[in-house]
Amino acid sequence: MTKPPSVSRRRLLRGITATGTLLRIGLPPLDAMFNSHGTAYAAEQSIPSRFVLWFNGNGIPERYWIPAETGKGYQMTPCLSPLAHMQDKIHVLSGLDNPAARMPGPGNDHHRSMSGLMSGTPFTGRGAGGASIDQVIAAKIGTSTRFRSLQIGVCQESHGESIHRNMSWAGHERALPPELVPQNLFDRIFGTKPQDWLDRKKSVLDAVQDDFKDLNSGLGTTDKTRLDGYLSSIRDLERAILSLPPEYGNSTEITAGGDVKDYPRIAKLQSELLVHALAARQTNVATYMLTKCQSLVRLPWLGYTTLRHHDYTHTNADSPRAQRIMRDICRWHVEEFAFLLSKLASIREGDGTLLDNTALAYIHEHAEANAHKNNGLVAILAGHKKLRKGAHTKTTGTMAELYLALANDVLGANIDRFPTAARKLESIA
Amino acid sequence: MIHLLLLISVLNAESTQPLRRLTHNQYNNTVRDLLNDRTRPADQFPPEDYVNGFKNQFSAQDISPLLAQTYANAAERLARTAFLGGRDDNNLIPCKPQSPADAKCAAAFVRSLGDKAFRRPLTEAEHRRYTHLLTTEATRRNDFIRGAQTVVEALLQSPKFLFRIETGGPNEPYEIATRLSYFLWETMPDAQLTAAAKAGKLSNPAAREAIIRNMVNDPRSKAALDEFLAQWLRFDLVWNSVKDRRIFPMFNEELAAAMTEETRRTIADTVWNNRPFTEIFTAPYGFLNPDLASLYSLPAPTEEFTKTQYPSASGRAGILSQAMFLSQTSKPGETSPTVRGFFVRDRFLCQTVPDPPPGTNSSLPPLSPDRALTSRQRLSEHVINPVCAGCHQLMDPIGFGLEGFDAIGRKRDTERITFFPTRETRNDTSKTVDLPLDTSGSINGMPNGKFAGPAELGRILANSRECQECVVKQLFRYAKGRRESNEDRELITQLYTRFAASQFRFKELMIWIAEDQKR
Repeated sequence: MTKPPSVSRRRLLRGITATGTLLRIGLPPLDAMFNSHGTAYAAEQSIPSRFVLWFNGNGIPERYWIPAETGKGYQMTPCLSPLAHMQDKIHVLSGLDNPAARMPGPGNDHHRSMSGLMSGTPFTGRGAGGASIDQVIAAKIGTSTRFRSLQIGVCQESHGESIHRNMSWAGHERALPPELVPQNLFDRIFGTKPQDWLDRKKSVLDAVQDDFKDLNSGLGTTDKTRLDGYLSSIRDLERAILSLPPEYGNSTEITAGGDVKDYPRIAKLQSELLVHALAARQTNVATYMLTKCQSLVRLPWLGYTTLRHHDYTHTNADSPRAQRIMRDICRWHVEEFAFLLSKLASIREGDGTLLDNTALAYIHEHAEANAHKNNGLVAILAGHKKLRKGAHTKTTGTMAELYLALANDVLGANIDRFPTAARKLESIA
Repeated sequence: MIHLLLLISVLNAESTQPLRRLTHNQYNNTVRDLLNDRTRPADQFPPEDYVNGFKNQFSAQDISPLLAQTYANAAERLARTAFLGGRDDNNLIPCKPQSPADAKCAAAFVRSLGDKAFRRPLTEAEHRRYTHLLTTEATRRNDFIRGAQTVVEALLQSPKFLFRIETGGPNEPYEIATRLSYFLWETMPDAQLTAAAKAGKLSNPAAREAIIRNMVNDPRSKAALDEFLAQWLRFDLVWNSVKDRRIFPMFNEELAAAMTEETRRTIADTVWNNRPFTEIFTAPYGFLNPDLASLYSLPAPTEEFTKTQYPSASGRAGILSQAMFLSQTSKPGETSPTVRGFFVRDRFLCQTVPDPPPGTNSSLPPLSPDRALTSRQRLSEHVINPVCAGCHQLMDPIGFGLEGFDAIGRKRDTERITFFPTRETRNDTSKTVDLPLDTSGSINGMPNGKFAGPAELGRILANSRECQECVVKQLFRYAKGRRESNEDRELITQLYTRFAASQFRFKELMIWIAEDQKR
């Protein structure tokens, strides 16, 4: 018998533990999820493809980010250096376009770019104009898992409107906010649920759903839509609860708390939890929002505390000092992404690793940050065995065309169209 | 009185019925009054969006899966703590259960709590549903309290609790009570108001007016005014603002809280003492604690937040001269005349300034010790470049007139620019350059719009019909949860006329807007 996967349960718990408050949280029965070879699922059924869309705000310093050479064997740039040892696991793209960001309408450049980036539709003044790509894909490949999709976030800087704080959109102006607190995410994925709790929840949700039925007459269309939104959330909740495996009744006492400003630490915890959720087939689709759109995060761990990220991108932004600061910030972003990749690669699944079955796409709302540039965007594709990897490619397609190619050629989610996509991007699979 | 009757007929002809969700603050207050729970659970909920300048606008009140989950978790916890230790310490159960599944007591409990939670009498079907829920769980656990706890958990997740549902018909008096209560008290109706609804008093305009007047004079209305002010003047932006600590080491959370407290007290003092609301722009006094007094270079008050006259040399008068406003409209290290101008247009004049066009490069000319420019000089780019000028002419000149106050609201005579050593020059000390200030400003488009300093700007606003009417509009938007439409124009004009005739008594304005039953 070989040992179970290398994600250490103890390390995970220590990470969450910090202050003395006690919280009862169930442990993930990791041993039950895999057989000794980690191939249990492979034998029973085909391994699903997973999709993770990664975002961090504010764009990049192009000169420190975009490789000078194209094709294989390109020189790693300072921002991409945390991925140097995984060059064969990633494909760097540049030259992508976000035309929806330039359609006339309300909002500043960040609003417009974010809406176009995620949904291919213009900003409405309140939110994205349509469903985001992760939700469109989740509707195809996320229907049989406990969670149709997970939204995970890290930096809790308290700023911004809906469009800044959310990357996932269920539809027109319907934001799906990310879970920012590791304890809550843990509880959501692995929380303790004894049988009598399940029974009670079922009765409660039944009663609440009956209340919905009463309301369906005599309401206007808008209000019906709003209530339907809540009702479908309730149904998702019920499905998530009822599909909890029985092992989740076990519980262990751990302490909870911690400095919520230590974002690199939280980022790693959220990544570990995401890896668990993907490995345990709790979901096939996730979005990961490291920082918010137009991020105002302070970065004490990098030594930059006088201004916030967005301020740095617009304060003497072309000076060598500001460019260096942005280089360091964007390198930190990539570092956290690299951490997630290596965690995914550390879990065996079938004949390969979880990373081989997970397609990751890493995107920003802008290219050069100061100019709010919404064409010539960069992306990193990583992981999935069907992806072409090892190269830097300059391309001319739109983000949406990249999504179409990912969905159809890599994830097996058949999607005919997505706003601002005229075709599928070539040469990514 | 004729317009009152008109309003009643509008009420009956109502066509749109926007559902309004309890705001997080209302949720906190409601569970406090319903369950005696003072933990303010919604402070931990996913944040609400500001739309039309407020957090309570119904177009932003969808429930996302994360919020649904949050409601579910909060309901579970609130239900558990309501019956902590399996006891009914909060006296929620109006009877003594004779057995775990005592049907009579179950029915009485569901009636008493359910009516309050849904803010109207339960229907027979609802009553049966929740009684059944109670007895099922109580039987399963062999414990009446467990059943009652489950009812609380379910009620708190019901759309009938989370949304204020208005369908008219026999429930209309209760719906009016609910609307009044959330507007004037920021919480659910109390027993007395519910009794008035039941007795039909709220359907009679004269009786209703008397009730509204009593509600405004009740101390609970203070919480409602405070919430309006916190949203209208974006106190959250002060609390969450970040300042460059090399330049402003004295700026911290306590100081930020003192800034908003000063403004809150200034306005509350004006409103509750029935002085003209326009005085908030001109009042020659503030409410200072020692931190604020030192920020303003005034002697420390003997007591926290005592009313203190601003010396005339301080240049201060009105909320535009208070650190609350001056600080939140600044960047971390320097003032932003543009943001200050935008805030005045948007919040005090109800004017829309368009967003910058796509692809705008918003960086200003860089500075160096041998090429130091004031903000006014750097922003002149906005006026020269025609793409920028159209809108920036509306904003920047207002902010120029406030340049006598720095990014945390201190008075200054010169604009000091500090150049800190970079990595290349790390052995040097920082250099400062003091530039002479020009504090002449203007509100373009307004007659006699030239001014220098916040006191003069405050006087212009206080006397401007546009600003006075904007106060009416802002309270209207807050009360109705939406922006005014063309159909509301007549009402807004009427309200403004009465507001002006009353010498701008804000309490009266609250009463008139509460009297208007149109949603």
